[in-house]
Amino acid sequence: MTDQRSVFADATQAKGEAIIECVGVDKFFGDFQALYDINITVGLQEVVVVIGPSGSGKSTLIRCINRLEKHDRGSIRVDGIELTDDVRNVQEIRRETGMVFQSFNLFPHLTVLDNITLAPRQVRHIGKDAAEEDAMSLLDRVGIPEQARKYPGQLSGGQQQRVAIARSLAMKPKVMLFDEPTSALDPEMIKEVLDVMVELAKGGMTMIVVTHEMGFARAVADRVVFMSDGRIVEVGTPEHFFTNPEEDRTKLFLSQIL
Amino acid sequence: MSDRKVIEVGDDSAAAGRPVEVRLGAWAWAKKNLFSTWYDALLTLTLGSLFVAFGWTLIRFLFTSDFEILRVNLALLMLGEFPRDQLWRPAVALILIAVLLGLMAGMGSASARDTAEQTGLPYQRSRPLAVLRRFWPVLVFVLVVLILTETVAPWLVAVSVFVAGVGSFPLGRALPGGVRKRGWLILIVIIAAIFLVLVGGGVGWDGWGGLHLNLFLTVAGLLLAFPLGLMLALGRRSTLPALRAMSVTYIEFIRGVPLITLLLLGQFVIGFFLPAGFRPGNVTRILIAITLFEAAYIAEVVRGGLQSVPSGQVEASQALGLAPWKTMRRIVLPQALRNTIPAMVGQFISLFKDTTLVIVVNMIDILGASQAANAQGSFLAQGLHRVTLPFVALAFWVGSYVMSREARRLEHKLGVGVR
Repeated sequence: MTDQRSVFADATQAKGEAIIECVGVDKFFGDFQALYDINITVGLQEVVVVIGPSGSGKSTLIRCINRLEKHDRGSIRVDGIELTDDVRNVQEIRRETGMVFQSFNLFPHLTVLDNITLAPRQVRHIGKDAAEEDAMSLLDRVGIPEQARKYPGQLSGGQQQRVAIARSLAMKPKVMLFDEPTSALDPEMIKEVLDVMVELAKGGMTMIVVTHEMGFARAVADRVVFMSDGRIVEVGTPEHFFTNPEEDRTKLFLSQIL
Repeated sequence: MSDRKVIEVGDDSAAAGRPVEVRLGAWAWAKKNLFSTWYDALLTLTLGSLFVAFGWTLIRFLFTSDFEILRVNLALLMLGEFPRDQLWRPAVALILIAVLLGLMAGMGSASARDTAEQTGLPYQRSRPLAVLRRFWPVLVFVLVVLILTETVAPWLVAVSVFVAGVGSFPLGRALPGGVRKRGWLILIVIIAAIFLVLVGGGVGWDGWGGLHLNLFLTVAGLLLAFPLGLMLALGRRSTLPALRAMSVTYIEFIRGVPLITLLLLGQFVIGFFLPAGFRPGNVTRILIAITLFEAAYIAEVVRGGLQSVPSGQVEASQALGLAPWKTMRRIVLPQALRNTIPAMVGQFISLFKDTTLVIVVNMIDILGASQAANAQGSFLAQGLHRVTLPFVALAFWVGSYVMSREARRLEHKLGVGVR
């Protein structure tokens, strides 16, 4: 396996122990190929930020990692478990992988507390009291313990997204996937969500973040992945990436957004 | 409305830029809204005179008609041929059910209070007057019935039902939260049991009739059809081709057949499918036909609800690791069913009215009773349908109107469309 990967720049490989390994991943939507030969590993406690123009396959890539989309070729391993059609594998990986969506996707018919305790109770079979205690400490962490008994519809966008993060964390995942978590937020709410994510990164959480927040990428990312047209174009440390990009496509993109 | 100021024309607070509600005098109002142009005036006069004519006819009808036929046949219209020496059974059942419904309402009220306390959402305990506004058609109908009665017993029953319902409300409200959570289902089961044992026990439901039969067929039909319809809807969305094909075939077949045909089929065909010697009574066969029929429609309503839940909800649930059936049970169904309330109530109302079709299989429901009354020797061929049919219509209107109003209220409470 290693010799196969050595064709690619070293930067696609994590330095330490890898927790996510994608090898030669292709993904089609009908005749349209969304991902071309994706090779990337993510190490334990690493923060990888994926950027790129819209339609470049960033979201598709992280949605393949927890099987919200099924990849067509290649292999994806999460925490040593290969993603196959076996439902049990998929369930196991989803239990270890938290995901935060652009549109929050909180459950509107449940209170904030119930949103957070649902999965621990239903999937991990934790008792009600223990789950609620956990949930309250998570709400403390994201800074909105006073909203516990409210419904998502009563909260602002930023608060909803923080609840969504707490909901994912309640499953004590080993990896967190963020799919443009701040794209649906008003500017003044972006910061409160990013602050939570920064704290999470400092705490040693393994994260893959699809985002357009270059400031976040610069400050928090261990590596930045640039994707375009379904391909990984360039991977590097933030300093390297933002100050000295190698590929023309990357330079063009950065010149457009910075 | 509350922060608006009502002022008389000429008040100068209008100049202060506050929203102002101008209250016109009656004459000025009429001039503005009814007679502003010549064709407005013409329309007002035409419709006005029609309205007056209709009102006059209605009053004449009420004061000149002989309601003897209703008075004599009241029990027939309400209960069909239920043995007259057994009438205490429905009376006692009615009172017990009132107790349980009072408990339920109390429990519901307490739950709403608790939710409001926790979430900080506004909550207002409904006042007696508001309750009256919700249920006034029922009250009108009960009063009409009571006025038509010739004995004191129905009055006693009505008063007991009222006292039982109102009296048990605070009891339900005082129940602790834990009991309340499971109490609903238990109470529904007890109501069904009371009904079957007390009312059915003496007579057997083939002896039922009148409005009682219409109500029973509606409620029982719905309770039985709902789970079946739910399963059909899920089957139709299943990934298993065989299950999906079966559901689609069933739904499309049943929806292509009129209920009246199914009722007749029930009479002649259901027996063919059942083991020899087991011959269900008439009402049982009607209930089977209604259940099979309604299930297909409910399935389609539920399917619409399932489609209304955004795919992000399923994805979020899957991403959390919930198994598919738990995603369905905890995330999709609660939201889907909430979204189906308007369509579901429409379905319930149309079933309520469709229960009159049992007349074709020789059951005497309230409509059948009205026909039967007109065939009695003393009332034959006197055109008294004009007295009985409005009464029947009133009964159905009351049921349908209250149902649709309550549904709108429930919809509002659950926040359909405002989320």
